[in-house]
Amino acid sequence: MKKKETASAKTRRFISNTIVHVSLAVLAIIWLFPIFWVVLTSFRGEKGSYVSSFFPKTYTLDNYKRLFTDTSILNFPQMFMNTLIIACFCAVISSIFVLSVSYCMSRLRFKMRKAYMNMAMILGLFPGFMSMVAVYYILKAIGLSEGSLIRLSLILVYTGGTGLSFQIAKGFFDTVPKALDEAAFLDGCNKFQVFTKVTIPLSKPIIVYTILTSFMAPWLDFIFAKVICRADAKYYTVSIGLWRMLEKEYIDSWYTCFAAGAVCVSIPIAILFVCMQNCYVEGMAGAVKG
Amino acid sequence: MKKKKVLSLLLATAMAATCLTACGGNDTTTEPETETTEETGEETTEETTEEAGEETTEETTAADEEEITATIKVWSPSEDQSAENGNWLGTMCDAFNEAHPNWNLTFEYGVCAEADAKTQVGQDPTAAADVYFYANDQLTDLIAANGIAKLGGETENYVKETNSQAIVDSVTVDGAVYGVPFTTNTWFMYYDKSAFTEDEVKNLDTMLAKDKVSFPLNNSWYIASFYVANGCTLFGDGTDEAAGIDFGGDKGAAVTTYLANMVANPNFVNDKDGSGLAGLRDGSVKAMFSGSWDYAAVKEALGDNFGVTVLPSITINGEAKQMKSFAGSKAIGVNPNSQYPQVAVALAKFLGSADAQQSHYDLRSIVPCNTELLAQEAVQADALVVAQNATFDTTSILQPFVSKMGNYWTPAENFGNSLLNGEVTADNAAEMTESFNTSLNTSAVE
Repeated sequence: MKKKETASAKTRRFISNTIVHVSLAVLAIIWLFPIFWVVLTSFRGEKGSYVSSFFPKTYTLDNYKRLFTDTSILNFPQMFMNTLIIACFCAVISSIFVLSVSYCMSRLRFKMRKAYMNMAMILGLFPGFMSMVAVYYILKAIGLSEGSLIRLSLILVYTGGTGLSFQIAKGFFDTVPKALDEAAFLDGCNKFQVFTKVTIPLSKPIIVYTILTSFMAPWLDFIFAKVICRADAKYYTVSIGLWRMLEKEYIDSWYTCFAAGAVCVSIPIAILFVCMQNCYVEGMAGAVKG
Repeated sequence: MKKKKVLSLLLATAMAATCLTACGGNDTTTEPETETTEETGEETTEETTEEAGEETTEETTAADEEEITATIKVWSPSEDQSAENGNWLGTMCDAFNEAHPNWNLTFEYGVCAEADAKTQVGQDPTAAADVYFYANDQLTDLIAANGIAKLGGETENYVKETNSQAIVDSVTVDGAVYGVPFTTNTWFMYYDKSAFTEDEVKNLDTMLAKDKVSFPLNNSWYIASFYVANGCTLFGDGTDEAAGIDFGGDKGAAVTTYLANMVANPNFVNDKDGSGLAGLRDGSVKAMFSGSWDYAAVKEALGDNFGVTVLPSITINGEAKQMKSFAGSKAIGVNPNSQYPQVAVALAKFLGSADAQQSHYDLRSIVPCNTELLAQEAVQADALVVAQNATFDTTSILQPFVSKMGNYWTPAENFGNSLLNGEVTADNAAEMTESFNTSLNTSAVE
């Protein structure tokens, strides 16, 4: 009798597992489909933006070669470097901002705390590009809208507002036991030392998350880059370059290169993620021991 | 302990207060001063440059220019600046500098496609280029943004003398000329010579009866050609804003019926996302409608069978009616905020001159619009130039650029979509055309 039950439970479990896995597989395929298509298109040998078959008829690496060598009209390598530089600065500066603000909100008690959190919440409800024209004129007024200072303006724009998006990191810091802080205080740490010596080492996952998201911002943003760079092609970021490849004049010859560019953009982000993944797993497992 | 705290608090407030008052004092004393100096400074420089501008335009006719050292910002499409295409802009600007020995000019180049001028210049005209390239349909917006200057005197005469009336009209608003045109901008027909004879391409219905034809029906820039063919008008002659768009009535309904039948024809293929060009490549489409920007790609796809010609006519109620595309021009504009207006105007004229157009044509196959150049044999032998100019002259209307034209684009695109998905049929054509016409004349944004 007992044996029979386990057998039927086994089959039941088998059936439910199969259903779950099949549906997950279907979802995964749907989700990965566009990415797969972009990768395929980046290796496509035929020209043009419209194709009648899903799989390319010929495969080639020329799209990548052209993307990085044909710099006369759309200088992709330069755009790539611009974005990479900006992204590196952003990753460092915004992470410091976000983590510091989150720590303050989580650990310190001061009068404006509640008010600040409410304000941040409300400001966060407005889309950032609402202020783009104002931002442009402010940058122009302080003389940052011309020449190589454009890079600096972009870094400022991408990092300036990140102090407002502290919610996730603050939530994480809240889960780190206060007892640890108190122990550190007893040992003679000041608040800054608690932050750097206790909270930070225990919060690797959220640090990785913060660095990744702030590194990605310049790669994804189009609207601020467009408004601030205007006609200075030397300082374009990849998103403007990719957008230009789809304009009427270029789309036919640049479409496959556009796909190649899209793939290339994902590479630095992927590398950063792979490097940081170790910390991610460690941090998740390590939190508090005793 | 408590006393100490109170004391420190007092001290702190005192410090803060002095700080604030100090700042305030500074504010009230220095700021207005700097402001006034700045203002007066600006005014005086403006006045002087304006005066200087007027004077020198008179002086240039006397071929005796005052000495100027300046940095001139020029925005053009990136192809004009690429070494691969011969760096047209750089070469021309250097030549301009040499032609004016008294002017010591440094050029700063920026990238702005003709179609982006409205947004790029409009965003901040005071920081925009002194000289830039624009497509003429953006003229109204550029004027509204104070981003474009009227040309006068010698340059205006030059534009009028060296271009056909239609091209001059395309850059004229209220009688003032706003740029030096350098090419025409329109669309026409590419076809496969092995599929259609030269007689057959004169009528779209003959073509559709024989083989596959691709047309971008849900693109508003193209769909109007059918309505204009049957006598529908946009803003009267294109400039009468009060007249509105007239696509209604029997003449409009007849076109809608024609289009509904055309969509039902298995030989009709809608051209979307480059499918027409892809069709020409693999042979599934034998004719498509596009402009000079697709010339190289079509030429490569069709090889010896490459054919290009003006728009065909369509048969409505037994009568052949000529399709008419929207046409415009691309021109070189001058920024009214330029510090050196006389240099900017001279540069614009230089870049739009016959020699510059010739070089533009040699390097990038930009179809010239200078009447003398067009008369040359070498230019006359080019199929693309002939097709584009014949289209401009005979089978097109000037694309209206009155501000109400902004209401046209979205409803027209939606109507094309409705035709394609079968919402609009030959049966409900009259009714649908009326509501289409109403939406064309209704402003979505007041």
